[in-house]
Amino acid sequence: MPETRARIGVFVCHCGKNIAGTVDVAKVAEQAARIPGVVYATHYEYMCSDPGQALLKRAIREHRLTGVVVAACSPTMHEDTFRKAAEEAGLNPYLVEIANIREQVSWVHSGPAATEKAVRVTRTMVAKVQGNRALRPAELGVVRRALVVGGGIAGIQAALDIANAGFDVILVERSPSIGGHMAQLSETFPTLDCSQCILTPKMVEVARHPRIRILAYSEVEEVSGFVGNYRVRIRKKPTFVDPSKCNLCGECARVCPVRVPNEFDRGLSTRTAIYIPFPQAIPSTYTLDVQNCLGILPLRCGKCAEVCEAKAIDFDMHEEILEEEVGAIVLATGYELYPKEAMAEYGYGTVPDVIDGLEFERLLSASGPTRGEIRRPSDGKVPKEVVFIQCSGSRDPEHHKPYCSKICCMYTAKHALLYRHAVPDGQAYVFYIDIRAGGKDYEEFVNRAMQEERILYIRGKVAKVFREGDKVVVWGVDTLTGKRVEVRADLVVLAQAVVPSPGTAELARKLRVACGSEGFLREAHPKLRPLEALTAGVFLAGAAQGPKDIPESVAQASGAAAKVIALLSAPKLAHAPEVAEVNEELCSGCGICAPQCPYGAISVDEVAHVNEILCEGCGTCVAACPSGAMTFRNVEDEQVLRMVRAALEVADVGV
Amino acid sequence: MKLKLAVYWTGSCGGCDVSFLELGPGLLDVLPQLEIVFWPALVDAKRGDLEKLPSRSIDVALVNGVIRTAENKEMVELLREKSKQLGAYGACAHLGGVPALANHAPGFTEVVFGPGFRPASPWPEAPEDAPPALLPEALPLDEVVPVDFVVPGCPPPAGLIARFFQAALSGEVQAGQVFAEDKALCEECPRTREERRLTRIVRPHEVVPDPKTCLLDQGMVCLGPVTRGGCQAACPQAGMPCTGCLGPTPKAGDPALAMLSALASLVRAGEEGEDAFPQENQILDSLVDPIGTLYKYAYAKYARPLQRLARRREEVRA
Ligand SMILES: Cc1cc2nc3c(=O)[nH]c(=O)nc-3n(C[C@H](O)[C@H](O)[C@H](O)COP(=O)(O)OP(=O)(O)OC[C@H]3O[C@@H](n4cnc5c(N)ncnc54)[C@H](O)[C@@H]3O)c2cc1C
Ligand code: SF4
Ligand code: SF4
Repeated sequence: MPETRARIGVFVCHCGKNIAGTVDVAKVAEQAARIPGVVYATHYEYMCSDPGQALLKRAIREHRLTGVVVAACSPTMHEDTFRKAAEEAGLNPYLVEIANIREQVSWVHSGPAATEKAVRVTRTMVAKVQGNRALRPAELGVVRRALVVGGGIAGIQAALDIANAGFDVILVERSPSIGGHMAQLSETFPTLDCSQCILTPKMVEVARHPRIRILAYSEVEEVSGFVGNYRVRIRKKPTFVDPSKCNLCGECARVCPVRVPNEFDRGLSTRTAIYIPFPQAIPSTYTLDVQNCLGILPLRCGKCAEVCEAKAIDFDMHEEILEEEVGAIVLATGYELYPKEAMAEYGYGTVPDVIDGLEFERLLSASGPTRGEIRRPSDGKVPKEVVFIQCSGSRDPEHHKPYCSKICCMYTAKHALLYRHAVPDGQAYVFYIDIRAGGKDYEEFVNRAMQEERILYIRGKVAKVFREGDKVVVWGVDTLTGKRVEVRADLVVLAQAVVPSPGTAELARKLRVACGSEGFLREAHPKLRPLEALTAGVFLAGAAQGPKDIPESVAQASGAAAKVIALLSAPKLAHAPEVAEVNEELCSGCGICAPQCPYGAISVDEVAHVNEILCEGCGTCVAACPSGAMTFRNVEDEQVLRMVRAALEVADVGV
Repeated sequence: MKLKLAVYWTGSCGGCDVSFLELGPGLLDVLPQLEIVFWPALVDAKRGDLEKLPSRSIDVALVNGVIRTAENKEMVELLREKSKQLGAYGACAHLGGVPALANHAPGFTEVVFGPGFRPASPWPEAPEDAPPALLPEALPLDEVVPVDFVVPGCPPPAGLIARFFQAALSGEVQAGQVFAEDKALCEECPRTREERRLTRIVRPHEVVPDPKTCLLDQGMVCLGPVTRGGCQAACPQAGMPCTGCLGPTPKAGDPALAMLSALASLVRAGEEGEDAFPQENQILDSLVDPIGTLYKYAYAKYARPLQRLARRREEVRA
């Protein structure tokens, strides 16, 4: 019987007045001393202080304690502190348990009942610790290389930071070039610096960096393994152009007979089947879009290959599957705008002069389809009256997205302002619900748009947008005056809701990372762990985690990179040993446990096996296992039953 | 020296007594080594004969059937006193078995026979000959007397009976031994599992099961995963879900609760998450007769503490 040999020490913390103000700590210690197996019990002002820890260490040595219960605050606070202290005194840290008598007792109860409950909680943990086994953390090595998925500004920043710290980075980008949406923007709020001018130097740095390998036109196919030791399969689509030979002369595109909508210009211009998304694209090469090429199968065209003097075009190029090992993964897959089809009430998708914010960015951009002149899509006329509609698809839980897309207030102000710069005699109207300009210098920027540029801000929602002759009529209500408003505009720009980029859910599944209800990647903790996924070794950056502007995306990317660097710098990784464990004598291999594990930690052959490193200790499998073969280390059934009994015993407090 | 054997039936269907024949030719090896001192189903013997035997003179006694009447109780107490080792034979003695499902309807005599029912003596002039009184509950054997070992099953399968005799004849029956596997039935089941998820619940008569894949995956509530192996998964092999007659594996605890939590883990309707809960609840709710299905044999043994708890709670409330 372990009880008879147990030598448990109980340390009751006052936590200043936090606990001692409500709980009679002396009484708790006195009662604890009477529990069979407890050989030492005391109370102290601040157990977590240095003298408190010294007291603990001394007692462990002097009384040859085999287990310790610290009755104090929540284990999330100081479990680590006391376990380390115990270890220093020669006691296995997993023989230390916390009885939470602060959050679960003194903060929520009063009167004698608080002391009685504190005694029960303490006694319960004494019962638990007597069943604890000494455990050792599992150790594993780390592959000192990172994978970054998504080459927008967030992915670029993360890759650069990690690489500059001396680690190799693989940067996987789905499209032919890195740059993401920032490459499409004209000028950026609140400073109005040209987006490409500040982005392209970073892109070049990525291209030149000896530690960064860009895999563009590629996607993550499969991920296995675990923190420090991920195995990734990457599918690299053929570009049919050898980037080392292509000298960007552009002859191929000149002869290509195909014209398809240009994605980079959001369909406001066309491109050829062999193309470069934009002149500063990285990797700096043309790409042949096989879906639209006439020449690949069957060989009907082939004009581009004929004119390519560099002989860079190779129709026999094949898809490649690359297998890489990495220690950490950053997900920076960014966002997309809410699709046109969803906004029928605003005429989007049916009325040609209703466009979205990114299309407007292309109209504003000096390198865009109109060379920066504002011309509307239907007839190329310069619009004299432009309506901007904010929250289009956002903050509308009944019909569209319930959340605020966060960046639209700011870029709409920017759009209206840039429009007024481009068309000084034009009038801009902005329909808004309220203005959210919570960044540095943001409020000032919006005020400048309102006051200096005489942009008409109308508070209210737009009910309907429709075409009448060559006008786009906007019906709305000014909620400040209560009057109906009708604007006969030449162009309407919708600040469409920001949504996760397509494929986010699928990628998340491959990585066993959670998505929130709106599909954005979910962080481990909204406040305290915003840069990491719940799956160890996977980090989040940029708009993939939720709508974000550039400064925020960059900040988060650098933060995630710092986490990656810390992980990759560790000599060895340790994993808490308090995980699930299979009793192979009892396991029938029924396999019920395996699909329950959110972390894919269980494999089953004749019997089930738990990968100690992958297991996060959630206990789901333990509940699922019908035969009781799956157990949880140091939370065995017998222990729990003993704890329940201890908790229910009549407390003899005498207060 | 022959093994002095007693076999007795209490609230039993008789199947357990017949089950020994399952040994087939093997019986011919066993029989000569036995001295049957008491076995009402086989040889004529009365309570008085048993009473005459000296204390602990029987080597091994096997009791099959549930303890249902006052007479059952007296008889097994008597057997206990006369035997060196006493074993529960079959699911009823082991777990309460099917007849103990009656505990779920405490006033069942009224339900079955109408109000005012009381077993009447067929000879009103000789009340001492009245049928024995019913106990308030049907009980597994070990609730009445200490039990040394268990030969489980409904009835015990031939292989396990053989295993028992082998041990008994060489005097190697261990205290607490259960003549079955510690691992669940799935270990022996030749069916293969595909995707472990429960998208519907069906009863055996509603489908013709695929001969190869796991019955649970096909929506049948097969208790294989909570039930001891030892029968070579006879029922699942024949396309019938396991109903749990060998009893739960040593660490499963209450088999119905263990199975319920496995079913709740496996049930899946569409994408995982709260949105699917109503539909998943519906699937679980479609389990017809959960008590009879999940507790078919084990109700008396495992539901009793729960019942006691419920009663206690009512008392506290009152
Ligand atoms: C109209 C408009 C105007 C804006 N103006 C401003 C402004 O003035 N100032 C400002 O600060 N912010 C502005 N923003 C916000 C800005 O665009 C974002 O903050 C920024 O682009 C976010 O960067 P990101 O890297 O997180 O995502 P993205 O830019 O979306 O980059 C994501 C990258 O990941 C790639 N990718 C996606 N999925 C995968 C996958 N499965 N595998 C591989 N690669 C993948 C994509 O191809 C893309 O290259 C504006 C946004 C809009 C819509
Ligand atoms: S405890 Fe949770 S994480 Fe660990 S193996 Fe079981 S289900 Fe997976
Ligand atoms: S659920 Fe239990 S018995 Fe079944 S495979 Fe998993 S650990 Fe083994």
